[in-house]
Amino acid sequence: MEHFIETIGRNMFAIFGVMALGGAAFMVASRSAVHSVLGFLFAMLCIAGCFLALEAEFLGMAQILVYAGGIVVLFLFVVMLVEMSKKKEKEVFQLQSRYAVVAILLGAVAFLGVFRKVLFGAANPQALGLLRPELAQGLDVAKQNAQAVSRGLFADYLLPFEILSVILLVALVGAVVLAKTERV
Amino acid sequence: MPIPTLTQSIVITLIQCLLVVIFVFVVVPLTVFAERKVLGYLQQRLGSTRVASGHVGVTGWMNRGMWKWGRVPVLSYWRGIPGLVADVLKLILKEDVIPAKADKFVFFIAPAISMVSAVVVFAAVSFVPGVFFTFPKWFPYLGGLPVSGGIADINVGLLWILGVASVGVYGIVLAGWASNSKYPLLGGLRSAAQMVSYEVPLAISLLAPVVLSASLNFGEMSARMAVGLPFWGLVPQILGFLIYLTCGFAETNRLPFDMPEAENELVAGFHTEYSGMKFGFFYLAEYINMTVVAALAAGFFLGGPWLLPFGLQGLVNPFLPAFLKWFGEPHAIFFVVKIIFLLFTYIWVRGTIPRYRYDQVMSVAWKYLIPMALVNLLLAALVRCFA
Repeated sequence: MEHFIETIGRNMFAIFGVMALGGAAFMVASRSAVHSVLGFLFAMLCIAGCFLALEAEFLGMAQILVYAGGIVVLFLFVVMLVEMSKKKEKEVFQLQSRYAVVAILLGAVAFLGVFRKVLFGAANPQALGLLRPELAQGLDVAKQNAQAVSRGLFADYLLPFEILSVILLVALVGAVVLAKTERV
Repeated sequence: MPIPTLTQSIVITLIQCLLVVIFVFVVVPLTVFAERKVLGYLQQRLGSTRVASGHVGVTGWMNRGMWKWGRVPVLSYWRGIPGLVADVLKLILKEDVIPAKADKFVFFIAPAISMVSAVVVFAAVSFVPGVFFTFPKWFPYLGGLPVSGGIADINVGLLWILGVASVGVYGIVLAGWASNSKYPLLGGLRSAAQMVSYEVPLAISLLAPVVLSASLNFGEMSARMAVGLPFWGLVPQILGFLIYLTCGFAETNRLPFDMPEAENELVAGFHTEYSGMKFGFFYLAEYINMTVVAALAAGFFLGGPWLLPFGLQGLVNPFLPAFLKWFGEPHAIFFVVKIIFLLFTYIWVRGTIPRYRYDQVMSVAWKYLIPMALVNLLLAALVRCFA
């Protein structure tokens, strides 16, 4: 019993990973858009589980809060209002297997290019830490990773963080402008 | 203190889960009963009194005498309690109707999502700091092991609570969509808009305790909010409590914000097409969500397992005489009493304040609650900085 539970605990990442892949496959394969969103939601929750299995609890919770709780709700909101049973919309959204295959191949190549080192290279002997180690003083980074992330964001990487939020703001204003001009 | 093995700790966690489920399933039916009774008395009637039998029948017999004397029978407070059993039996035995054009899978899974996301929040709630009780030595397998006051008092408890609570929206939205009928769809859409908007001030109002206590762990937060704050911490606490409670009413779809099921406009909102135990799950989930919101309000603002609310306990504690020390320490019973008082407040508000119009609901959230919550956050930051 003890051994069994320990084995499960050690393989939590793999279990959640396989479940996330299953959710993603369901999302791609299902015919109804709302079912796709459900599959996507399941995959997002499982990815949060993967983060938890890696002891990155802050990332896991942020994953649930931002993706499962925010973004996928908006997806659902849009998808619910689109009647997918009409033939024209089916042609637009569901019968594009040729393009889909090309897109998947391109995506796979890009993924391999970016993550080649991570997947096939030697493992990094040293865990990633803060740029300035003195910031982590008095902090058990392994256990308090919310605090560690906050110090990284608001001390080490403050400027990139602010620039990123300005970019998001620009995108938001742009969306408002586009939506407004259409109505006039 | 002995250290539990892996299997033992899992068994202990299961026992904790069982305790929480028992707590929920005791509190929820009593809240349903209290809702009928308290609303009744607020509106100068008696509430449910009809279903009464056996032991309760004695009070009924005495009541008849009191009616004859021309007095309102005081003993009828508890009459009607067997009606709860009748309600549950009705929900379980009723035919489970699925509309012909419904999306069967989504229709089936929506109440489950509602229910699960409501219950799972309790994982991060800590009822009492430290050890809740220790198993006696003679207990088989678990003898001498401590049971902590929360199931998983994790480092990011608050984020877990907010995240899982936001997953609860899916239950309502999907139920509205899967019913394939216009009133549920309208109810689902309204509720999605309402819950997404009220999550913003809710989260900001909970940021004030985070700033004041410098933690995201439920147990640590409630401890520091109750006994670790300077005097000026009172102001952001009281303001934050009022904002949080308002948003909590909206998040749980209670009056005066019950847009998703506004009876006079939308029949019954998102659960119009549901019957039997599937409807029962939505009903249960609503009341469990009320309990969750009450638990958070009690934990963060009303001092959690300590007696006095708003951080007063920490100010009073140094002056407590020795024979009153018991009142200066944390006890699970204080926490539960606060939750029950807040549940009463829900019913009280429902009986007192009329419903908002839909546009008013939205303007309350975006024009008033969010700025107020931001000001409150600023106050909390000032307190943390200077006091």
